[in-house]
Amino acid sequence: MAGINSLFKTKILLKPNTFSAIVQNGMAIFPSYYIEPIYKKEDQEALKKSGEISEYVHMPTKAALNSQTCSVSYDPILSLFTNYLMRKGQKELARNLVERSLEQVKRIQLERYHKCNSDEERAKIELNPKIIFHRAVENGKPLLQLMPVKRGGVKYQVPVPISEYKARFLSMNWLIEAGREKDRTKVRFWTQLARELVDASNNTGKVVRRKQELHKQCEANKAYAHYRWS
Amino acid sequence: MLRQISRLVDPLKGRNLSLTSSCVESKLLRTSQFSTNASESNAVEDVDTKKTLNKAMRTYLERAREHDEFMKTQRREFEIGKRHLANMMGENPDTFTQEDIDNAIAYLFPSGLYEKKARPMMKPPEEVFPQRKAAEFDETGRPYHFLFYTGRPNFYQILHEAVQHIIELNKFEDAMIRKKLEPDPNLTLELSGSKWIEKEILETNLVETITDKEYSSFINVMDRLASLPYSYRIKDLIMQYRKSLINQSKTFEAIIPQLDENGRQFVSVYECRRKRATASVTVRSPGTGKITINDLGIDYFNGVQQREQASVVWYNIFDRFRGKQQKPRFFYCTEKQRIIMHQRPTHGMGQQRTIGRNNV
Repeated sequence: MAGINSLFKTKILLKPNTFSAIVQNGMAIFPSYYIEPIYKKEDQEALKKSGEISEYVHMPTKAALNSQTCSVSYDPILSLFTNYLMRKGQKELARNLVERSLEQVKRIQLERYHKCNSDEERAKIELNPKIIFHRAVENGKPLLQLMPVKRGGVKYQVPVPISEYKARFLSMNWLIEAGREKDRTKVRFWTQLARELVDASNNTGKVVRRKQELHKQCEANKAYAHYRWS
Repeated sequence: MLRQISRLVDPLKGRNLSLTSSCVESKLLRTSQFSTNASESNAVEDVDTKKTLNKAMRTYLERAREHDEFMKTQRREFEIGKRHLANMMGENPDTFTQEDIDNAIAYLFPSGLYEKKARPMMKPPEEVFPQRKAAEFDETGRPYHFLFYTGRPNFYQILHEAVQHIIELNKFEDAMIRKKLEPDPNLTLELSGSKWIEKEILETNLVETITDKEYSSFINVMDRLASLPYSYRIKDLIMQYRKSLINQSKTFEAIIPQLDENGRQFVSVYECRRKRATASVTVRSPGTGKITINDLGIDYFNGVQQREQASVVWYNIFDRFRGKQQKPRFFYCTEKQRIIMHQRPTHGMGQQRTIGRNNV
């Protein structure tokens, strides 16, 4: 009960005195004019240096999320990936899976590293699993997507440009789906995800193939492109 | 011109040319209400007898008198009501202030309505009934204001003045450039702590209703004016239309460190609450750099995320002591086991702890 009361209190406190009316923003606790928090020390320093900090001083700011820290190990893209992976709010499980897959990536790369015969080959192998992850996500991003458009009672799949946000989501979601493909009693999720990450970072594997398939379909439906605006 | 403005403020007094000081005040945009004191109602009668009166003026005077009478009745009723209320509350009716009235109303008619305007109130009639403009034309029907035919003379006067200031400042800037001088960066107008006044407030200040489009053009003009390099020269005028965003509601006093038996400084804060967790925190200086949470280290928390947050809090405080000889030492919840963790049953995952944000 105390918990509920305290939550209720915080909600009331959110009402700023300087604004006459509170704008309802869906289910969000914070009104729409609240800005995103700047929780990274480097970002704050950069703002201080450029003098922009004075603009932010009086802005009502949202609280940082539970997972957002200024820790050196914090990676916003990886955190986003963890959230996409999460099911039924089991954050710790999702985080565990991501960490294990990154560990697995490290193992795969180390194995390759030690199998190499020359220094030149060794230099080519990236051992940092986070860099591998970022490369994999970057390589999986499609450039176009298909949007169904109804013309004369027929639905056409029309190729349209994709937003940065959607492209990143698709890439990450394909990685997750690729990880789930194998029967988990035989191959665990993190093992499969690690393989997919390494493959995608080398521009091969299921995710990259899926991206290319989408591009091919877009190419095939090129003739419908004008349905986007007419 | 001055005489005209003074008439705008109080047209009936203006006829006797008895105005001196209010001419200066008339620069303020707030136009006066219909006059309510007795000497002016006599003037109204004097005016009425003249035959040269314009029809518009006659109608206006008729309206003014009606409004005057109405306000008088309201005022009388308010005074009687006030005395009655004071008697009910057992106070002296002569020293009963508006604050006392508000308190009495809140006591007699307790209301849980969220919207404060919807709650019962008793205010003087001047506050309850909206202000109305005084006559904008003389007895021959000729308007005083040069922007009368825009329909919103006060509003357009603001825009007009703003544009005049823009032109002046541009001229000034040109002159400065010719002299090869630059604006003083220290004097630059700081607008980040304030915002333009809202449409409703502008409307009440002007005693005119304006449309959204007109309001946006007001904002545009003012933004333009404020963005000029020498806008600090007319700071007062700009700040007149801005509202401060700072609203200080509390003052915070830093806790004074105490000394323990070993002569070390320490600061304790009790009942630090975050969502459903409560903690007491002690920071010692000079310390060892160690963290204790309920007699355990950072591994008190099972989740990686919580450990990360806890270590970041530790790091941030530690960072402030960087380069100094003394290092802080932290005790979390040393005296009593104060972190309360509510356990919540989850499906299939056994029991999961719910821990609030930064609750260390």
